[in-house]
Amino acid sequence: MALRKRMGDNLLAIGRDRDEAAFADFYNYYAGRVKSFLMGKGMSDEISDELMQEIMLIVWRRAESYDPAKAAASTWLFTIARNRRIDYLRGNSRIEVELEDEMLDVDSDESETQAGFVDAEQAAERLHRALEKLPQEQRQVMHLSYFRGQSHGDIAQWLDLPIGTVKSRIRLAMQAVRSSLKDENNAAPVKESGSPIND
Amino acid sequence: MSVSHHLTDETLHDYATGGLNAAMETLVACHLTVCSHCRARAGMADDVGGGLFDRLEPVTPRVSALDLIARAAHSTDSPEADTVRSNGKSDHGNVVEGVPRPLGRLLPAPLEQLRWRRVAPGIKQYKLDDKHRRDGAFQLLHLAPGAVLSEHSHNDRELTYLVQGSYRDSIGRFQVGDIADLDGSIEHQPVVDSDMPCIALIATQSPVNYSGMIGKIMQPFVGI
Repeated sequence: MALRKRMGDNLLAIGRDRDEAAFADFYNYYAGRVKSFLMGKGMSDEISDELMQEIMLIVWRRAESYDPAKAAASTWLFTIARNRRIDYLRGNSRIEVELEDEMLDVDSDESETQAGFVDAEQAAERLHRALEKLPQEQRQVMHLSYFRGQSHGDIAQWLDLPIGTVKSRIRLAMQAVRSSLKDENNAAPVKESGSPIND
Repeated sequence: MSVSHHLTDETLHDYATGGLNAAMETLVACHLTVCSHCRARAGMADDVGGGLFDRLEPVTPRVSALDLIARAAHSTDSPEADTVRSNGKSDHGNVVEGVPRPLGRLLPAPLEQLRWRRVAPGIKQYKLDDKHRRDGAFQLLHLAPGAVLSEHSHNDRELTYLVQGSYRDSIGRFQVGDIADLDGSIEHQPVVDSDMPCIALIATQSPVNYSGMIGKIMQPFVGI
């Protein structure tokens, strides 16, 4: 995962020193992907380019909020791009958990969030391999739902599949990713005693 | 908080891809606040998005990295605009005791002081948006102890977050922090079994289908 390490280091260098070379390396790899994401979701070339510039300026100005222990650089960037697109289209912000909420459930947070991973690097490596192993049909539906269609209905129409098939492929892909993370980790299963998880 | 009913993979996936409306996002964020287990699952769905992001085919940008930051340095954009947190909320939102902030921000007063509208005996409603019900509903329901909702199913997804009290239906018993994440196939008839009034936050993507006659009469009023 040389790329992940390099991009994470770039963000750290931007956050620490406003390192222009680090930003250029990050931008040269990701700017075109952010633009591709926005266009894939239906925005024009022009709007996508403008919004991409805003998103990359957020990276430039807020890189210090990136925590390599919590997420890969690509995940951090993906969530910024997703949220900025929603803000732009809806005129109000995406609704998220507020970490200072006094109702935040933090008791079992560490054990369950990290699920026993030694470090984020190891977790990312496993995720990468799990995605590589997904059957092509599942990876296609995942790609379309994250980066193309607005709804499962759109995807079903494009692929000429029943909507139930689209949904079950998404479900299978998520289960495959989760179970491969757990299996490879040999971690005790997350406690679900008396807790029906609606999979 | 001990939570026993969780979000489905499908809803977490839609939340990660940005495919939910603001009402549904609010319900998801309320549950994620009180459930670290689902928060970890939501994080994993974001990680999948990040992992797939690297595989996107890039589209050539119109400006270079250094031109962009040079222009930003000379622009008149106020730096304050960038200090807003990523979800765009200030820290001065409403804090309503016992209510996760994603919902608390939408409430002008504590729960019992809201301007509840009586819609049926034992059932009061507080709407959180003014959309027509054919576009789905976003509301709080205030149900007296022992209240029974008409049996109904849904055309699409219904999310219910338990804010106070508890109820029971064919799926199980729902208590504070639990989420009922239902799709169109499930028919249920919630019965309040707590001593205090039960308050539920509900979002639907399309109106529900009541199966009984009384339900059909009630539907225009309750609007779920």
